[in-house]
Amino acid sequence: MEPDIKIGLEIHVQLNTKTKLFCSCPTSASEPNTAICPICLGHPGSKPVMNSKALEYAAKLALALGCKLAPTVTFSRKTYFYPDLPKNFQITQHELPLGRDGKIALDDKSIVGITRVHLEEDPGALIHKGNHVLIDYNRSGIPLCEIVTTPSINSPSCAREFLKKLNTIISYLDIFDPNNGVIKADANVSIKEKGFVRVEIKNITGFKEIERALTYEIERQKESEVIQETRGWSAERGITYPMRKKETEADYGYIVEPDLPVFTIAEEWIQAIQSEIPELAQERAARWEAELGIDKSDAKIIASNKRVANLFEEVAKTTDPILAARWIRREVLRVLNDKGKDIKETAFDAQHLTELINLLRDKKITNRIGQKITEKLAEKAFSPKAYVEENKLTMVGDEDELESLCKQIIQDNPKAVSDYKSGEKKSLQFLIGQVMRATKGRANAQLTRALLEKLLEN
Amino acid sequence: MIKEFAKKARAGSIDLVEHTRKAIESAQKINEEYKYITELGDAISRAQELQKSAKEGKAKGKLFGVLITAKDAICVQNLESTASSAILKGYKPLYNATVIERCLEEGAIILGKTVQDEFGFGGFCTNVGKGYSKPKNPNDKKRVCGGSSGGAAGITKKADFAHIALAESTGGSIANPASFCGVVGLTPTYGRVSRHGLISYANSLDKIGAMAKTVEDAALLLEIISGADPKDSTSASTPVPEYSEIPGTVQGIKIGVLESAVDERCDNSVRKAVLCAISKLEELGARRINIELPLNSKYALAAYYILALSEASTNLAKFCGIRYGAYDTLNGTYNDYFSRVRSDNFGDEAKRRILLGTFARMAGFRDAFYTQAAKIRTQLIKEYKEAFKKVDVIITPSMPTIAPTFEHVKKLTPLQSYLMDELTCPPNLAGLPHISIPCAEHEGLPIGLQIIGDHFCENKIIQVAKTWSQISK
Ligand SMILES: [Zn+2]
Repeated sequence: MEPDIKIGLEIHVQLNTKTKLFCSCPTSASEPNTAICPICLGHPGSKPVMNSKALEYAAKLALALGCKLAPTVTFSRKTYFYPDLPKNFQITQHELPLGRDGKIALDDKSIVGITRVHLEEDPGALIHKGNHVLIDYNRSGIPLCEIVTTPSINSPSCAREFLKKLNTIISYLDIFDPNNGVIKADANVSIKEKGFVRVEIKNITGFKEIERALTYEIERQKESEVIQETRGWSAERGITYPMRKKETEADYGYIVEPDLPVFTIAEEWIQAIQSEIPELAQERAARWEAELGIDKSDAKIIASNKRVANLFEEVAKTTDPILAARWIRREVLRVLNDKGKDIKETAFDAQHLTELINLLRDKKITNRIGQKITEKLAEKAFSPKAYVEENKLTMVGDEDELESLCKQIIQDNPKAVSDYKSGEKKSLQFLIGQVMRATKGRANAQLTRALLEKLLEN
Repeated sequence: MIKEFAKKARAGSIDLVEHTRKAIESAQKINEEYKYITELGDAISRAQELQKSAKEGKAKGKLFGVLITAKDAICVQNLESTASSAILKGYKPLYNATVIERCLEEGAIILGKTVQDEFGFGGFCTNVGKGYSKPKNPNDKKRVCGGSSGGAAGITKKADFAHIALAESTGGSIANPASFCGVVGLTPTYGRVSRHGLISYANSLDKIGAMAKTVEDAALLLEIISGADPKDSTSASTPVPEYSEIPGTVQGIKIGVLESAVDERCDNSVRKAVLCAISKLEELGARRINIELPLNSKYALAAYYILALSEASTNLAKFCGIRYGAYDTLNGTYNDYFSRVRSDNFGDEAKRRILLGTFARMAGFRDAFYTQAAKIRTQLIKEYKEAFKKVDVIITPSMPTIAPTFEHVKKLTPLQSYLMDELTCPPNLAGLPHISIPCAEHEGLPIGLQIIGDHFCENKIIQVAKTWSQISK
């Protein structure tokens, strides 16, 4: 069946190599035009020298996306004149991309096809200042990996899911640095209502912006006449705007880059790269489900962040894996979310988290105390067991002790008691809360509820 | 000769400062008349430094105290290097080309840069860039030097001091001027010598080589500059023999004589001289085998021009008046600005080659020209490889004529002048090593003999060339 919407994406991922694609300049610099050399400035006589790390990273990504690797690595010159492009040609892969025919499967089992994965160099950056344009060549020669999909994405939300999955793969492979690197995309969008006339949207930066731009563009196409054209995306205004009509497609006059020899990819090299690819999120989640009995949605969410997933696996070794999964998904991720931090920026570690989960498993502390300790563990490492003992936070689980406390609470809150008895079930929650307050959160919640219910029956 | 000079210099028995001062003086005098040098280096300070090390007994290097010149396209740190183009006027490289570094390590003194056809675009050295003077043939000032390494050949012939020249060939730019000026021009296998620091004409064809008065001296320079370089990924790691030590002998050598190269298209004097040289080599034990290279004869020139100009048109894109070299006042769009700087500073031949090269790689024409030419190149190499199963070297004239006059060159159409490359193009396109040596004179002007070898068989062409130079003495 033909879909209503066809979206294809071209995504540029900045590979997190230490040095640039064809020279030994660093890939990060604070001051403009400080990470430059004759090669990335295109000085006469300079020759590009391939950064084999970048090739490795791109090959890893291609393989992880299920691509077939090309038998040889070849580069081309894509010639166009622009002030940010030092040689007035970009070294890219045209004839023979590194990877071809890959895919990512979405949750609804639909497949997003990947046409090509290739390596190329980034141009510099233009900085507009009043009447002037300044050029910063620090970016010139930074390795980019371009991923091109077939137009098989059928909605902005599918695009988001695809990008999320891609992002997970990239982070699992450790080839992208979200703090330093940039992800850019071009998208082609067409809808059935308008006869699938293709519109290209250029230069969208960041995953969130891509979904926004697509949503806007589809609405725009539904409401107005659609012509084949290239549009830009303005993040500030939240709109796409016309850039140029399609008929004048640029002629880049591609030729093979003669300064880089064509080299053959050895089978052993592919195997070595393949062996470095870790178990990826989807397989990992499936394994936890099957082997540890972890809830499907807990597994998926934990697996989608490589570092959290690694932490979980470490913790699950020596404690109840199901409880560990639930706790990490609900509590650890909540803390990360609240703090807006990546796990590596926190003090979370497996040993102390395991200790905490053991306390929970053995009903030594209540969930509420557990939550408080989790928040503290994000800040600094300490032993939850010692902390609980020191601060006398052990759960009040002794039935006699709790029962007398419950009796006291019932006595002190006649209004709530009568409300409950006249059918106001919410009042029970209030009474449980009072017990918790009296114990500073240490009362066993289940036991308290049971005791209160029993006492109120009478 | 160079070897003996360096040996004496190392021993301290030559006053290097004095020798260098005289050399500069002589070079300047030659230059006034013949226009070979575009820029002089600080040779005196270098000579003083070397002299001091000789006195301290620390002298070392195969080129100790020897003056070298570099074709203008070869970058020398802090010395204006423009490939004789106005668009690079004022450009002083930040680094030395690898060949320069290697010569300096061996104790050489950089005398200066030699003039060439702009970016190597020519066979007569008459296409020098705007503001440059055309060099004159050392044997007859009314005649051209040949190109594009014209200045290198001229100064090599004229120098009355210890000198060798770094030259460069894309489609014949070493053999051609060596032949016209009467010196030895040695072009190595593609990849034998690092191109790092060479201002590119056509990267898949460019080869830095040597020019000298003798085969041994050219071989010595080649042995110094050859070998793998991490800064040029196309440089080969094939081991480098001591080329300068190769003895001259042709005993048992099978010489392929390309019949189509010595037919009626060749000047009579040239044909006679080359055939005579071949029979003398036969007398010394070489075996003559006639061969034909029909594919090369038919397609090499066309394939060469298409590939060379396609690459050249991308190489020259970077010259746009922003980062270095010529510039102008900023106004208009960047396109207007680039066009203005490029129109004002490129010479006519550079513009012609950019246009032709851009055309050959345009969508719609690319398959018929660029892609096709690349495929043909593979076939042409195969044809040579087949030939080298039967012969050790192939001999042809270097050029079909003696050096023409400026007057004559002026009348040639671009196509006619491209046709002059008929003999030098095929080995260059195939990346084969070849050497041009003077083999006779006609009307007082030299005729060059071209000896072509298989890839990385420089030793064989040197051995044959050396034999010839011994008997022709
Ligand atoms: Zn750099």
